[in-house]
Amino acid sequence: MPLFKKKPSFEGGGLVLFMDVHDAMAAEKVLKESDYAVKLVAPPPELRKGCDLALEINLVEQPGIVRLLQEKEAGYVSVLPMKPGTSGLLEIVKVTDFGDWYMVKAANMKLSFEKKSGIIVNTSGGGCPDIPYLHAEMIGKRLDEAPRPRDLGFTLCALMLDRALEESLALWQGGSKT
Amino acid sequence: MMLIVGTVPLKDLPLTMGKAGAKGDYMVVNGHRIPCTQGTAAMITAALITTEYLKLEAPQALVVGDTGQGKGSREMYEYLIQSVAKLSPEVLALHYCLPDMALTRRLCQAVKGCTKKPLVIADAASMYAAKAAGLATSFDIFTPDATEMAFLADPDATHPAYIARHLFDTDVTQTPKLVAAAYAKRNAAKLLLVKGATDYVVRNGEILATISEPNVPALEPIGGTGDTITGLVSAFVYSGLEPHEAAIIAARANRMAGKLANATPATKVRQIINQFPSVFKEFLCQWSEVCYKP
Repeated sequence: MPLFKKKPSFEGGGLVLFMDVHDAMAAEKVLKESDYAVKLVAPPPELRKGCDLALEINLVEQPGIVRLLQEKEAGYVSVLPMKPGTSGLLEIVKVTDFGDWYMVKAANMKLSFEKKSGIIVNTSGGGCPDIPYLHAEMIGKRLDEAPRPRDLGFTLCALMLDRALEESLALWQGGSKT
Repeated sequence: MMLIVGTVPLKDLPLTMGKAGAKGDYMVVNGHRIPCTQGTAAMITAALITTEYLKLEAPQALVVGDTGQGKGSREMYEYLIQSVAKLSPEVLALHYCLPDMALTRRLCQAVKGCTKKPLVIADAASMYAAKAAGLATSFDIFTPDATEMAFLADPDATHPAYIARHLFDTDVTQTPKLVAAAYAKRNAAKLLLVKGATDYVVRNGEILATISEPNVPALEPIGGTGDTITGLVSAFVYSGLEPHEAAIIAARANRMAGKLANATPATKVRQIINQFPSVFKEFLCQWSEVCYKP
C-alpha cells in the first residue's frame, strides 16, 4: 500500500520545561532519535520555570516521553499542558462495588478485579492505541503480578490506567486511599 | 461504502485495508486475524454483524498495528488524508489512534474533497483529537461515555486526564449540564450519543431521547462495550436510519445484548457481540418500525 510522505505539521498541546538551554537541546535530540514529534519553542512567560527554551510535545504522549527522558537522564523540570487554564492531571479515583468485583475508575480508565483472588477481569474506557494492548496484557493476571501500564504504555490513557491499578492494589491489600 | 478506521494492538500489523470478515473469535482483514477484544476490533465486529443481519455490504476496515508509540496511527491518518476523496465513503467512522490535532485538521480538509460529504463519526482518541483541535462541529456523531462527556464540556482540556475535577465528580443527572456546556463552546458533534447509566441522544444541544432500560450496570466495566455501540451506530446509519434513530437503537441493542449475556464485570465483549443477532431478530422490527425478514 503506497504511503505519501509529507513533512508533518505539528500541534502538540504540551510543554517540557527545562532549567537551561543545554538540557532542552539534549532532550530534543533524545526524543527525535526515538521518532517523537517535538519542536523547540519559547514557553509563555507564565509557564517559565528556568530557561527560555521549551519543547513542545504531543501532550498525550507525556508518559512515554517522561520515561524516555528519565532513562536517558535528560534533565527536565516539568511537563505541562500549553493551554492556559487547563487543570492539572486528575488525581481522584472512584470505586464501584459490583458484589464479587470492584471497578476502580481513574479519569477515563476503569479496571475491574475479583475481590477474592485479586484477578483483573476487565479494563475499559480510553481511546489511545496502547489501551487495547494493555487490556490483553493485564486481563487474567493478579493485581500484584500484572504488568504496570506506566512501564508498558505510552499515553495519558495508560497513565490513568496505572492510577486505577495502583488504587486497586491498595483496595485489595486493605489500604484503600479513597 | 462504510469505512471504519482505527489502530489494533498487534505490533507487526502493517497498514491494511479491506473488507472486514470474521472467523471464530477473530476479525479478519486481508487475511490478517485480529482478536475481537476491546477497541477497533470490537467496533468493526459489531458493525459487521449488523450489516450481515441487514444484508448490507460489509464494512471496509483501514487498520494498522500500534501499541502506543503512534507510528501506525500517523501512517493510517496520512494514508486516509491522501485517499479519502478517492474512496468517498458514505459513512466514515474514526476510532482508536494516537490523537494528533494537526493530522485531524488535515483530514477534515481532505474530507471536503469527497464527491458527497460522508457522515463522519468519531469515538475514542479520534474524538479526543477532534475536540482538542476545535473541530468537533465538523463531525456528525460523537459517542462519548460519561467522563468523555465531561472532557467535551471542559473548554481547556485536550485529553480526559486533564479535565477539571468538578466535572469528573458529576453524576449522570448532570449530563444535560455537561451537554449544554459542550455545545455552548462548540465542542460537540451535531449528534451525541452519551453512553452511561442513562444514555442520552442529543442533537444540536437538544436532548431527543434517554435510554435506561434494560439496566445492566455490569456493561460499564466490560472493555469494548462502548466500542460496540459505536459500531452499531455506524452500521445503522449506513443502513439509512437517521442518526438519532440509529443512536437510540444502538443504545437499546447494546443494553439488551448485555442482559441476554447475563453480563458481569468478568464478561468479555465477544460474549456481548454474540448476542446481537438474537437481539436484532427479537427487537429490531419493533424498535425501528422497519420490519425485515432475514
